[in-house]
Amino acid sequence: MQRLAPYLQVAPLTLILGVFLVVPVTMIVLVSFWSYDEFDIYPDLILDNYQWILTSPVTWSLYLKTLYYALVTWAITLLIGFTISWYLVFHVKNLIWQIGLFLLCTVPFWTSNVIRMISWIPFLGREGIFNQALMGAGLTGEPLEFLLFSDFAVILAYVHLFTLFMIVPIFNSMARIDPTLIEAAVDGGARPWQVVFEVVLPLCKTGIALGSIFVIALVMGDFVVVRTMSGGQSATVASAMMNEIALLQYPTAAAGATILLVVVTLMVAAILRVVDVRRELAG
Amino acid sequence: MRTASGRRPLSFWLLTAFFVLFVLFLYGPMTAIYILSFQGPTGGLTFPMRGVSLHWFDALFGQQRTGDFAGSLERAILLALVSMAVTLVVSVAAGLAFRQRFKGASAIFYIAIASLVMPGLFVGLGISLVFQVMGVTPRWWLSGLGAHLTWTLPFGLLIMFAVFNRFNRAYEEAAIDLGATRWKTLTAVVLPILAPGLIAVGLFGFTLSYDELARSKLTVGAKNTLPLEIEAMTTSVTTPSLFALGTVTTAVSFLIIGLALGAIVMIQKRRTRRAGEA
Amino acid sequence: MASNRDSNGGKTGAAQGSGGLTRRRLLQTSAATAGAAVGSGLVTGFPTVWSQKLKDVTLLHVGSSYSAIIDIARQASQDLGFKIEMQSVNGDALVNRVVTQPSTVDIADLEYWAVRKVWPRGVLQGIETAKIGRWDKISPLFTQGKYPDGREVTLEGTAPYEVQYTEEKEGNRFAAGPTDHATLLPQIYNADTLGIRPDLIGRPIESWSELLNPDFAGKVALVDIPSIGIMDVAMALEAKGEMTYADKGNMTKEEIDKTIAALIDLKRQGHFRAFWNSFDQSVNLMASGEVMIQSMWSPAVTAVRTRGIDCQYVALKEGYRAWAAGLGLMRHLDGLKLEAAYEYMNWYLSGWQGAFIARQGYYTPVLETTKAAMAPDEWGYWYMGEKAEEPVKDPYGNVMEKAGAVRDGGSYEQRMGNIACWNTVMDENVYMVRKWNEFISA
Repeated sequence: MQRLAPYLQVAPLTLILGVFLVVPVTMIVLVSFWSYDEFDIYPDLILDNYQWILTSPVTWSLYLKTLYYALVTWAITLLIGFTISWYLVFHVKNLIWQIGLFLLCTVPFWTSNVIRMISWIPFLGREGIFNQALMGAGLTGEPLEFLLFSDFAVILAYVHLFTLFMIVPIFNSMARIDPTLIEAAVDGGARPWQVVFEVVLPLCKTGIALGSIFVIALVMGDFVVVRTMSGGQSATVASAMMNEIALLQYPTAAAGATILLVVVTLMVAAILRVVDVRRELAG
Repeated sequence: MRTASGRRPLSFWLLTAFFVLFVLFLYGPMTAIYILSFQGPTGGLTFPMRGVSLHWFDALFGQQRTGDFAGSLERAILLALVSMAVTLVVSVAAGLAFRQRFKGASAIFYIAIASLVMPGLFVGLGISLVFQVMGVTPRWWLSGLGAHLTWTLPFGLLIMFAVFNRFNRAYEEAAIDLGATRWKTLTAVVLPILAPGLIAVGLFGFTLSYDELARSKLTVGAKNTLPLEIEAMTTSVTTPSLFALGTVTTAVSFLIIGLALGAIVMIQKRRTRRAGEA
Repeated sequence: MASNRDSNGGKTGAAQGSGGLTRRRLLQTSAATAGAAVGSGLVTGFPTVWSQKLKDVTLLHVGSSYSAIIDIARQASQDLGFKIEMQSVNGDALVNRVVTQPSTVDIADLEYWAVRKVWPRGVLQGIETAKIGRWDKISPLFTQGKYPDGREVTLEGTAPYEVQYTEEKEGNRFAAGPTDHATLLPQIYNADTLGIRPDLIGRPIESWSELLNPDFAGKVALVDIPSIGIMDVAMALEAKGEMTYADKGNMTKEEIDKTIAALIDLKRQGHFRAFWNSFDQSVNLMASGEVMIQSMWSPAVTAVRTRGIDCQYVALKEGYRAWAAGLGLMRHLDGLKLEAAYEYMNWYLSGWQGAFIARQGYYTPVLETTKAAMAPDEWGYWYMGEKAEEPVKDPYGNVMEKAGAVRDGGSYEQRMGNIACWNTVMDENVYMVRKWNEFISA
């Protein structure tokens, strides 16, 4: 019975993902080898869809751009997420306050993403609130154009949307750290940066790894934010595939999705090589 | 915020300032939404305000110009609640499983990762193709729910990893030594300690489902959920009703959070009192 | 409009009292007197059992939010006695839904360029034109590929006429000329052009070439739908004399290459401020002054203007980029539901819907019923290019233009009579999308 327990416990997850993920994704991978014309898509085994993608310079520039967004967003969200978690764990010790402040950070997320996207133009535009405030304060004479429809805007929106996904796992693994450990380190003469880098950081690396996986997966798969915030002037891998789906070009789009799946899974595997989150479970 | 020992260190104030700035950053763009939702009846989605009114709140709950607002909101909330419940139960169970060694653990783990990584639109497309092949009609509460779970479950599972991370087994062992059943150990000892993590899983389950657009597009069938309805609206004249919805959502969220926290405080007080009596 | 609405309100009350059947009778008589011979013949020709059961039918109409408008469904349900549900979805999802999940749609509300992609997939059934009472009243733009004055209409892009007819009811190919089966029932259409801020530009804009004028660098936007955006640029390049196309709506690979190369150059010079993909973005870009010339939709121009900001939908000498949408019958419809769908389609041409969407600036395929359903002053403003005697109201009764306003571009004949090309998907659309992605990522 004891040996059966984990199989029973993991069964519902396996079942749900089996039906709604493995089967559909297998379908997509199959379709990526199919050929198509204006009438239909046909079962086949052609590599054209892959050949074009892998040899096109566009693919490389799309991946470079997407990786750039992912890395910058990752670094910023990690910094903010770590700091916020530190604050909530070590400075806000009352559980109710912890939960309350955490929820405060989640409330904006319940207003639909689409609605929030609409509000960026009046906020960051040439005549938006922010530029008006800057000019009003005399900090700038001309409205700052880079605020909207730029890489800056895209990354700003990513940070705005995804920092929470960094906070949650880091907070949870940081919360397991015994505060006396830190006191002991301080008493032992450790400098503050030593406490951060040599005591706390190693102890919450699981949370950091998980948060990194979330943020990277989110950015790599995004097609809405980049389109809106760059004013359609930048594309990510996923947003380029959107254009293909809209015109029913399933096989090419499916091939693109398959490649993206492989690439991001490899990125995640790389993170897991650094931090084996599953081994950490045994504690 | 009580720290036991009197004076707070400088780092506390610096970090508090950082936290406040972060919250301002989160709510900053939202302020435009809050203010503009009180537009006059002839106002639009941008400044300037053309009068101040409750017109758009009225319109929100009345008959809609474009589409089925109330119905789609109801479906989105229902779907989010079901996703939340399923995500909680399934993730906790799976999290427990992964604390032990079992065959196929790696495979299942990487399937969950793939679920997170696969662009949502393709999960939806795949599900819709499978349903078409099998002759099943896609519905929001069937294919839609399944699609949302492929999104919420990996988050739930991975957060459980963080939650169980270096979880001290001594508590469980002590309980079992004291003669508690495994179930009792789980409900009375393990889960309460994990409470904040579970709240996070539940919230993620709810929020991710409630806001999910890409996976919903091709899986909801004949009835829209809210994000789809809103997206569709953006191709024609949209009204500040959208913003009114944002304001209402925020207000209701704060209300619910306040009530929930109040309830927790009450329960804790009662527990302490009971502990005192015992 | 307000009085119109009140009378509808009254009708609802009465209808609830007397039940669906009586109301349907009423409708039949009025349709008959209006002279819709075939349509009313069909209606009265129903077996009684059917017309009793008809009220239990529910039809799901799926379309974009500018055309599948809930008020239309409400009015139709009221007039017809059975239920019309509407689901508005985003354009990309619409085409995918119809193709991959045909069973979740009854009436597909598609643009003509989309039917070019969808019809060959065999998910739609041909509409028997004999069952559409006013088929012969539909504008010849659709039925004959001609302007009302007999001139041939351009076939650049997907002209509705090219994909209007099909050889067989359940086929997957288009017919070269009129047959008994139509792919779509024409529903709304319009002539699109550039929107400008006359106050910021300060001089007349008369040619598409102005879109690429360096004077406006950094203040220009394009629609971020590849197949349409590229055509706006093609119009501009052709107007500038930098390119000539055999068919802007169906470019060769070489033409696509040259056009995209020109676009990439412009992008590097910072010519474009943004590419918009939603109605509100286009409105906000214009209203906030981020942009002073861009591709735009007619109701978006109106939306900018109702904020008290000057915005003009300019008539350009090269002509308009036109588009049209229609209703398609899903192949799975049969029996009672199919008959209900035909009734619904006939209702569409009976005037109410035409008048409703006219107030959004869109045109209707059967002009005479729409004219009858509008006040003469409204008709004069929207269709005849005349000065409005009274304030112009939108479909919901809100004032959108002051008395004395004249529609940009003038009358129906002036606007819809000068089409340079039609919205489309090209034969080389796979290649075009790849090149477009190259442009966006450049």
